[in-house]
Amino acid sequence: MFGLVKGLGLTLKNMVKPRVTYKYPHEPLEMPNRFRGIQYFIPELCIVCNQCVRICPTDCITLTGKKSDDPNVKGKVIDTYEINFEICILCDLCTEVCPTEAVVMTNHYELATYSRDDLYKDMEWLSQNNTLVRKENTLHPLPKKTGAKKA
Amino acid sequence: MTEENNKEEKTAQSKEDQEKKPVQRPAARPRPRVKKEAPPPEPSPKEPLLAELVQQVTEKLGEQAIEESYVNQNGEHLLTLVVNRDHWAKLASLLKQEANWQYTYLQNCAGVDQQTYFEVVYHLYSLEHHDQICVHVKVDRDQPEIPSVVNIWPAANWHEREIYDLLGIQFTGHPNLQRILMPDEWEGYPLRKDYQPLDEGV
Amino acid sequence: MLRTEEMLLNVGPQHPSTHGVLRIVVKIDGEVIREATPVIGYLHRGTEKLAEDLNYTQIIPYTDRMDYVSAMSNNYVLVHAVETMLKLEIPERAEYLRVITLELNRIASHLVWMGTYLLDIGALSPFLYAFQDREKILDLFNELCGARLTYNYMRVGGVKWDAPNGWLQKVEQFITMMEKRMKDYHQLITGNEIFIQRTRGVGVYSQEMAIQYALSGANLRVTGLQRDLRKEHPYSIYDRFQFDVPVGRHGDLYDKYLCRMNEVEESLKIVGQALASFPEKGRVLGKVPRVLRVPEGECYVSIESPRGELGCYLVSKGKDKPWRLKFRRPSFCNLQILPVLLRGENMANLVAILGGIDIVLGEVDC
Ligand code: SF4
Ligand code: SF4
Repeated sequence: MFGLVKGLGLTLKNMVKPRVTYKYPHEPLEMPNRFRGIQYFIPELCIVCNQCVRICPTDCITLTGKKSDDPNVKGKVIDTYEINFEICILCDLCTEVCPTEAVVMTNHYELATYSRDDLYKDMEWLSQNNTLVRKENTLHPLPKKTGAKKA
Repeated sequence: MTEENNKEEKTAQSKEDQEKKPVQRPAARPRPRVKKEAPPPEPSPKEPLLAELVQQVTEKLGEQAIEESYVNQNGEHLLTLVVNRDHWAKLASLLKQEANWQYTYLQNCAGVDQQTYFEVVYHLYSLEHHDQICVHVKVDRDQPEIPSVVNIWPAANWHEREIYDLLGIQFTGHPNLQRILMPDEWEGYPLRKDYQPLDEGV
Repeated sequence: MLRTEEMLLNVGPQHPSTHGVLRIVVKIDGEVIREATPVIGYLHRGTEKLAEDLNYTQIIPYTDRMDYVSAMSNNYVLVHAVETMLKLEIPERAEYLRVITLELNRIASHLVWMGTYLLDIGALSPFLYAFQDREKILDLFNELCGARLTYNYMRVGGVKWDAPNGWLQKVEQFITMMEKRMKDYHQLITGNEIFIQRTRGVGVYSQEMAIQYALSGANLRVTGLQRDLRKEHPYSIYDRFQFDVPVGRHGDLYDKYLCRMNEVEESLKIVGQALASFPEKGRVLGKVPRVLRVPEGECYVSIESPRGELGCYLVSKGKDKPWRLKFRRPSFCNLQILPVLLRGENMANLVAILGGIDIVLGEVDC
């Protein structure tokens, strides 16, 4: 019997403690900076290196590049960029490999919709998802001085 | 790292800075070359143990029992035996019962598709002697059959079912050899290298 | 005359006490179980097959989804296998971060077990307390690697993130808080007569049987055998820390509870020691080639996950993708003993015994 009463003591102690639950849908949860949420894509920074496509474990990124209209710019510029959030597992690998931080994580996590088609996010949508952007992203920044040609 | 070094040294001595740069560059270049030169494998300190084990097994079961033996130098220098399939059942019970082995604990049991043949790999552990060995048994690809060891290590039960399920190796003498992870009516054995999914693109 | 005949009863696959999708077909005779057959595979995703087409970095997020209650250990066992094959040197700081996260994850996992187990056998409030504390660990992880369950934190050669500012202090605060909380738990549960009566002497098995069925983790230690891979084959830097391996005496469910709770205390000790000797500076990711080509060969590594011996058998043919990757999942191996334990038991004990094994279905089915 004594063990039971002792246990009840803890319950009583906790009754007067402040609440630990959140009012989630009414008050949005704040996530720490490193939180991996829906990506923000910056078309101007992308160098169409295809690294994000290659590393993505679920193959959910599709992109195409095109020749730049501006003759002064070397290399390609991005034409279309899509992430399929039906299968994206927000694993962070694409943002990790992107050398120019063209694709970065944000703190947004609400993706639920009524239609699967809505989960197919195109470049326009992704480039407007520009709030709460994560600060630290890439692990492999483009080498600045030496060895730039090697990569 | 290198940038930091350079900065510090620039303020102190510019001469050293100049000397350093040429030293650094070659250091970065030969990296691919180093990779290709595989260092000659040193004989493992466990070689004598292996020789002893092989000798004891051949004494008991004859020459043909062990097809190959080596020390796997990855990790903790694991003694590895490649055992003939016909002798495996006998050897298994010996490995468990012999006083100087007592491999009573079946750590892991995995099937591997080696394209020309299958392989069942057992990792055994002796709680008495704190010692681990690995046994490979080669299985014919056309007629994948191997004696079951469930009566020796009951823990092998589900492992063998899993291997049967994913690789299609028949374990003769298994009490209940059925598919375990895949649905019963599944066709083909997914972990085989030549497996073609039946329902491509849902 | 009472008519008695055997009846087949389907427990699961959707049943709150199976902690996932496990189905058990039980043949009952009145209240007594004559035979129980677990049916698994409802959560099979073919991780091992998928891994054969992915490179080593890409597999890491997949391992998160095996044992989703302690994803850190899964992350670790894979990178540990690759590192063993490549014979990589891991930076000191990364090793410490690994140990801290692994142990925090063990605490979180045991708290989930404790909460849900007591919920299974009818006590509601410990669940709330346990999840409240686990939440703190998940928040710490969220801050460290940006996810609460699927961490994707370990990398071959180190870890992805260094600890953010103030994180280590938060861990320290958590440790002090948790040490106090453990007293609360003992007050709430350990001495509770109802709990003792419910679990004492239930689901007992002998040491021989545990070895025969290759049980591991608390399921093995509860029979009195002191086998903890952190002690027996120290991996990472576990040989630097002082901790005990709690064992049970009776091999029943109450001992399992005590074992796991004591393990939480030992984990707290390890984290405390790791924080005390945490290296001030240093890299968290060693020098690794951008494309990981594992040399030809094979290796088997095993670590002590919260559920037992988590092994990884890796066969490589010198490519950047594994030829064969097999995980020895402790839940899968431990679940095998269930039919033996249930034979002749009362139906009411099914949930208690099943809960005691501590399975995670994501890991059973892989
Ligand atoms: S987060 Fe992972 S799954 Fe999603 S797009 Fe990036 S790499 Fe692919
Ligand atoms: S990795 Fe970055 S720069 Fe390269 S294609 Fe992807 S988004 Fe563009």
